[in-house]
This record gives sequence, structure tokens and C-alpha cells, in this order.
Amino acid sequence: MANVRYGMVIDLRKCIGCHTCSVACKSENSVPLGVWRSWVKQIEKGRYPNVRKSFLPLLCNNCENPICVTVCPVKASYRREDGIVLVDPHRCIGCRYCMAVCPYDARYVNPLVNIVEKCYWCDHLVDRGLKPACVQACPTQARIFGDINDHNAEIGRLLATSPVQVIKPEMGTNPKVFYIEADLDAMKTERKG
Amino acid sequence: MDVIVFHNVFPQETFGMLIAIYFYLTGLSAGSFVLSTLAYVFGMEKFKPIGKIGVILAALFLIMAPLALLIHVGQPFRSWHLFVYLNITSPITWGSFLLTLYPINAVIYGWYMFRGNARLTRLFGIIGIPLAIFVHGYTGFILALGKARALWNTALMPFLFLVSAMVSGIALMILISLIKDKFFSKERVINRELIFSLGNLLAGMILIDLFLVMSDVLVLLVSHAEAQEVAHLLLKGKFSIFFIGVENVLGKIIPALLLLIPRLRSLSTVTIAAMLVVIGIFIMRYVVVVAGEFLHLV
Repeated sequence: MANVRYGMVIDLRKCIGCHTCSVACKSENSVPLGVWRSWVKQIEKGRYPNVRKSFLPLLCNNCENPICVTVCPVKASYRREDGIVLVDPHRCIGCRYCMAVCPYDARYVNPLVNIVEKCYWCDHLVDRGLKPACVQACPTQARIFGDINDHNAEIGRLLATSPVQVIKPEMGTNPKVFYIEADLDAMKTERKG
Repeated sequence: MDVIVFHNVFPQETFGMLIAIYFYLTGLSAGSFVLSTLAYVFGMEKFKPIGKIGVILAALFLIMAPLALLIHVGQPFRSWHLFVYLNITSPITWGSFLLTLYPINAVIYGWYMFRGNARLTRLFGIIGIPLAIFVHGYTGFILALGKARALWNTALMPFLFLVSAMVSGIALMILISLIKDKFFSKERVINRELIFSLGNLLAGMILIDLFLVMSDVLVLLVSHAEAQEVAHLLLKGKFSIFFIGVENVLGKIIPALLLLIPRLRSLSTVTIAAMLVVIGIFIMRYVVVVAGEFLHLV
């Protein structure tokens, strides 16, 4: 099991935008009302009859070089050997600095306990040899989870043989959620001005 | 191409008004401290009357400032974690020590100043100047290391914060000196020479601040997509009234004109300029923090 590095591939050729992943995550991790560890962004493009609805399932990228871990003043955020970035719920002081610096808006304050939480790729399931809840629940198997160093597993095969991309590679965080056929317009920062 | 984005998940506010208030208070404190050292460390005798006010303000604001932080954090009773579980790469860890050492040093410095011990006042003043610079400079680094936010992630941010700290500190000092001379001194005579020298200092600092803001915005305008987005937010979008109108025109350009044009120069224009600046810098803190985190990132 040496050199395990977990990662996720989201195959958007298969995603139907059903939000099952979002709901499975909420249920598995008891995520309170109003906040999400995993959610699906939707965009609509074009004019009839040339239209397309695109989806971008979003979650923590569990980056290789996570800025949230760099700036956490109490080392409550830390990165495991296998790459999952965790938040120690007993140590976090709720200063929100990690939320402010995360390029993916992946973190939130749990309003019930006033500490910062995020997607941990269901570390409690992964440690028992299971897949994260969103991966188990996805009806079209668009989410593939596993050890990206394992070349014989499905994730290794997909990463090697498909053109994949990550969100905001320019941030230098080295994210580990890879998308196949993600739409450029869905990956943009939202225009709000 | 027509693109419609459905907003279904909204990120929470991260820093918000409380942190803007915190930055404002540390800025006023650092500015006041540096002003108080002009007479007691650098021996500029004309600034002697503001030495004692400066040190009292510096200590008071820096005792108030962390209260804003305690209200802001989710778990205030875990604040002791900051001194036990250190992360050297986090500016907040640097700040937890600066925010402890700086007020203690300011109180000792003030104590010797009021006791009339010139030698020790000078010593603690010299120790205090770098502390004052770092205690406000580190807040600039908090934002500068926020690499997800285009408005914050610039090496100019600590300088911008230090200069605006001096600007707000000088303006507040002008107002406090006027009130003290007019209502609380024995002679009830305003020290015009002092007020006008502070006014000159203020004008100079405002010009440096304007230059820094201009270079910041000019680079944002041609930089990467999010930087352009945030520049438009400041210049044309939701924050343009605050950024252009209040922060820069009312808070910097008009006060600079009032202070620099010789024909306009009088006690009342200096007072008006100082009041505008004190408000303008508060709006500057608000715009930097709130506009910086305004955009949804994904």
C-alpha cells in the first residue's frame, strides 16, 4: 500500500446532472442545511435548436499543495500521506482564513458547531476499503475514485488514456479531482459585478 | 454565445465587516504609535504635544482590535490554540505574537513617557517602531497570501496597508489634537504650527497612498481574468461608489487638494480634510476586504 495517492476522475460524458452525489454526501456526512461539501454547478448554453446543458460537479480537490494547510494558524488543516486534506474538528478555531484563500470555495463553516468543514472524500469509508458516498451513489458511474498511482485500476487507466483537466491549474495547488470533457464556461469564476 | 449559469450554491462570507474593522483599528494604532515616536525617539520637538496622545491611542486601539477577532472566530474559547499549535507559514500565527508583544511594549513605552524617563522612553520607542510596522504589515500579508482572491494577492498589499495606516493615524491625530486644544487644555488655544505640520505630513502620505492604489488598479486591469473581474467590480460594478467616490475622491483627492492648495489652507479646511480621510480609510478597509471576497470562485 505504499505510495497511495487518492484521486477522483469525474467523467462528464456520463454525468446527467441528477444531483444524487450532492444528496448522498449530505446524508452520509450529516451536512447541515445551507452548506454543501459536494454540489453540481449547471450552465445552459446556446440558442434553440443548438443548445446544451453542462454540469460541473464540485467538491474539495484535496490538492497536492493545499493553500488552506499553508495558512491555517493552528495546523487544524493537514494533509494525510495518501493526499486527503483533513480538518481536525477539535483544533479548528473557526477563523475562516482557509475559506478565504481556497480557490475552489470548497470550505464552509458548519453553523451547528462553528468550525470549518469540507469534503474529506469520505475518509471514514475509504479507510474501510469503501468508496466515497458520492461515488457509490452516482447512477451513471461518472465518478471514479481510487489510487492514481495504480495503473491497473480504472482511475489509472482513465487518467492515462483520456484528456483530463483540473479547475484553475494556474493556482499551483495541484488539484486531484480530474474532469473529462468539462466545459470552459462552467469552470470560470462567476461574473457578478 | 449565450451562457446562463444557475446559482444553486452560495459561498459563505469569510472575513466581512468585522475583519475590516479590525484592520482599521490596527492601522490607527500603528499610525498613532509611529507619530508618538517622532518627538520621543527622533527628537522632533514640534511634535512633542502629540507624543502622549499617540501612545494612549496606540494602546487603546490595539486592545480593542483583537475583540473584533474574538467576535469573528467561530470558537473564541479556543484562542489559546494560536499560541500552542504554531504554523510558521501562517500570517495569523505571526500576528498572535505581534498582537501580544506590541500592546505590552506600548504600555511600557507610555509608562516611561508619563514618568518623564527620556532614556527608557526612547529605548521602548525604538523597539516599538518595528513592532508597529509588523503589527499592521502582517495584516497586509494575511490578505496578500490569499492567493484565490485577485484583489488581495499582490505584493503591494502590505505597503498599501502601512501607508494607509499612516494616513488614518495622522488624520485622527489632527482631530484629537484639535479637540484637546479647544476643549481640554488650560489656555484653549489651538497649536496652529503643530496642526499645519501634521497637515503637510498627511498630504504627503495621501499622495503616496494614491500612487500605490493607482499602480494596484492599473496592474489588475491587465492581469488575469479574475483580476480584471475585480478591477471592474471596483471601477464600474457594485463597489464603484465606495471605491472611487468615497475612498479615493472624498477620502484622498479632496483632502489632498484642501491641504496642498495654499489659498485654501486654514484650520477649518485641515479639520474637514482630516475628517474625510478618517472616513475614507475606513471605507478603504471595507472595500479591500469585502470586494476582495465578493466573487464566487467556481
